[in-house]
Amino acid sequence: MSARPQQRRHSARDLETILGVTSALAAPFDLMTMLAEVVSAAKQVLNADRGSVWLYDPEPDELVLEVATGIRPVRVPAGVGLVGACARNRQIINVPDCYADPRFDPGVDKSSGYRTRCMLTLPLVDHKDVLVGVMQVLNKRGGGVFDDHDEALATALAAQCAVALQRVRMTEAVIEGEKMRQELEMARVVQMSTLPASMPALPGYDVYGTFKPAELTGGDTFDLAALDQGLLVVLGDATGHGIAPALSVTQMQAMLRMAFRLGANLETAFKEVNNQLADTLASDRFITAFVGMLDANAHLLRFHSGGQGPILHFQAALGTCARYKPTSFPLGAMRLSALRPVVTLPMQPGDILLLLSDGIYEYHDAAGQQFGETRVEDIVRSHHGASMAQLSETLMDAVEAFAAGAPQDDDITVVLVKRDAAQTGIHRSFERSFDSIESIFAFTADAFARQGIDPEFLPVVDLAVEELFTNMVKYSTMSSAAVRIDLDVIDDGVQVTLTDYDVERFDVTQAPDADIELPIEQRKPGGLGLHLIRRLVDSIEYEYSRESRQSRTTFRKTRAGRPDSGGAGKKGEEHARD
Amino acid sequence: MLAIDFGPNDVVVISGRLDAAQSAAAQAFLDQVQGKVTLDCSALEYISSAGLGVLLKTQKRLMAADGKLRLSGVSRHLRDIFEYSGFDQIFEIEPAR
Repeated sequence: MSARPQQRRHSARDLETILGVTSALAAPFDLMTMLAEVVSAAKQVLNADRGSVWLYDPEPDELVLEVATGIRPVRVPAGVGLVGACARNRQIINVPDCYADPRFDPGVDKSSGYRTRCMLTLPLVDHKDVLVGVMQVLNKRGGGVFDDHDEALATALAAQCAVALQRVRMTEAVIEGEKMRQELEMARVVQMSTLPASMPALPGYDVYGTFKPAELTGGDTFDLAALDQGLLVVLGDATGHGIAPALSVTQMQAMLRMAFRLGANLETAFKEVNNQLADTLASDRFITAFVGMLDANAHLLRFHSGGQGPILHFQAALGTCARYKPTSFPLGAMRLSALRPVVTLPMQPGDILLLLSDGIYEYHDAAGQQFGETRVEDIVRSHHGASMAQLSETLMDAVEAFAAGAPQDDDITVVLVKRDAAQTGIHRSFERSFDSIESIFAFTADAFARQGIDPEFLPVVDLAVEELFTNMVKYSTMSSAAVRIDLDVIDDGVQVTLTDYDVERFDVTQAPDADIELPIEQRKPGGLGLHLIRRLVDSIEYEYSRESRQSRTTFRKTRAGRPDSGGAGKKGEEHARD
Repeated sequence: MLAIDFGPNDVVVISGRLDAAQSAAAQAFLDQVQGKVTLDCSALEYISSAGLGVLLKTQKRLMAADGKLRLSGVSRHLRDIFEYSGFDQIFEIEPAR
C-alpha cells in the first residue's frame, strides 16, 4: 500500500522531468554539448550534486572521460574500478559509502578536493543493445543515499541518454565522412587541373595522353609538354588511398615542370625531385613515375623511371613491342645519391612509346582476371597505324569490354608518343598553265609506277587532278605561284592534295553539280569537272588558310571506297546528289 | 598526246588523251566535220571535262543541221564518264568489244 502513492507522487513529477530531458536531448548535434546535456539531465532527475559520462571505446576496450575540449581525456580499461565493472557487467552499481568500497578510487577526490559520499553508476546501452558508455552521479542533494526509486528512474533516463549519445556519435561519423569526401573531391580537382589542357603539337610526332579517374581513390598523373629541352613525357602513380596520393602526384608534377623550366637536365630533375619527395612525403608513401625527354630532331627519347613499368616501345619495323624496366626505385622512397645510366630509345618511323598506369594492366573482371600486358600489346600491334587519340580510345574500349561491368578501382592513365610513319608520298610543283598538264600526267604515271599503286586508279586520279588544276589556272589568275601536287599511298588506294598558293578562298567542293538532264540545246560544257570528280573519288575536302593564303584540295580514291567506280553509274543517281 | 584524223569509211579516229591542253586541237578538227559522223574512241585513253565540252559543242552544231556524232569503241572507263555526265543521253554510244 505504501509503494503506490509514493510511486504516483514520483511519477508525475519525474515523468515531467524525464520528458523535458528527452526533448532537451533531441536538440544537440555535437558530442560535447550532448555530454553536458546528459550530465545536467542526470543531475536534475536524480537530484545529484555532480555527474559524469564515460564513453565506451570498443577498439581498445576502454572507457573515456572527456573532461573538456583540448584536454587529454581520462581513460579506464573496461573491468577496472566502478566504471569499468559497470561497463563489463552492464549492471547498475549503487554505492552508498564510497570510501567503504574497494573498487572506489579516492585519487580523484584527492586531486580535486571534492568529497564523494555516495555514487550511482549505471550502463548506457542503446536500443540495439550496444554499450555506449557509463554514467555516474555523485552525492544525493540534501544528504541521504540513492534508493531503489532513484535506480529505477536512472535506468529509464540512461536508456534515453544512450540513444541520444549514439545518435550524435553516428551523426558525427557521417559528417566526418562527408567532410572527407568533400576534401577528396577537392584534391581530385587539384589533381585534374594540372593535367595538360591540350596536347603539344610536335612536327613529325603524334602525342596523346588521357586520364580517367577512379570513383574514390587513385593518384595518377601525366604530363606532355614542349619545353626547351624537348618534349617532356611523364606518367606518375602515387601509392595509397584518399587525399594524399592525389596531392602528392600533383606536387611531383609541379616540381618536375619547375625543375625543367629552370633548365635542369633529365638526370638532375629526376634526382632532385626524388630527393625533395623523399624529404617531404610520409615515410610509407612513394610515387612510381616515368620521366622522359624526347629530342624530336634526333628522334631519341631518354628516360628515367622510378618504379614505373612496363615501358612499352612498339617498333614499327619489327611489328613487336620491346619492354623496358624502371631505372630506379619509386620516387620519394628514399634519397638518391647515384643514378643508373639513362635509357635511350631510338624512335624510328612509326614507333610508339606506350605508358599505361596500373589501372589498365591490373583492371580485373568479375572473376578477378587481370587485363594484363598481352592484351595491350595485341591491341597496339593491330592498331598502330591509327592516330594516338584513336589508339587510346581503342585501349579504353577494350578495357571496358573486358571488365564487363566490373568497377574501376584505380585511376587509368594512357600516354602515347608516336613518331609519324615514313612519308611514302611524292610531290612536285607545276607552273600555273595548261601547258603543265602533260608533265602532270607524266608525274602521276611515274608516281603510280614507283609506288606500286593500282594503275586502274590512274585515269580517275588524272581526271580529278586535271579538273582541279585547270580550275586553279582559270580562276586564281592573280597568283603566279606554282601549284604543288602531293601523291600519297594510303590503305588500298591513293590520296592526292593540290596546294594553291597566294590565292583567295574558293571552295571548289561547294560548286553546284551540272544539270545533266537538260536537253542538249541547253547544256553547257562548264561545271562538269567537279560533277565528275564527286562521282569518281571516295572523298574530296577543301581547306583554306587565311594566314598563308593557301588553298588545299585533297581527294582519296580506294578500292573499298567506291566498288562500282569501274562499272556503270546508275541512272538517276545524279538526282540524289546536290 | 592526242591524235585525231579520218580513218577508213569516213570514221574519225581519235587516240591518246583528250585533256584541257589538247581540247583546242580536237575542237579545230571536229569543227570541220559535217553530217552523221562516227568517232572511233577505241584508242582514246582519257577524257576530261574539257574534252566533253568539245564533244558537246560538236554535237550541238551537227544536230542543228540534222547531223549527229556517234561514239564507238567506248571503253569501260570512258563509259563511266559519259554516264556520270549524262552524255549517254546525248550521244549514241557503242561500247568497245
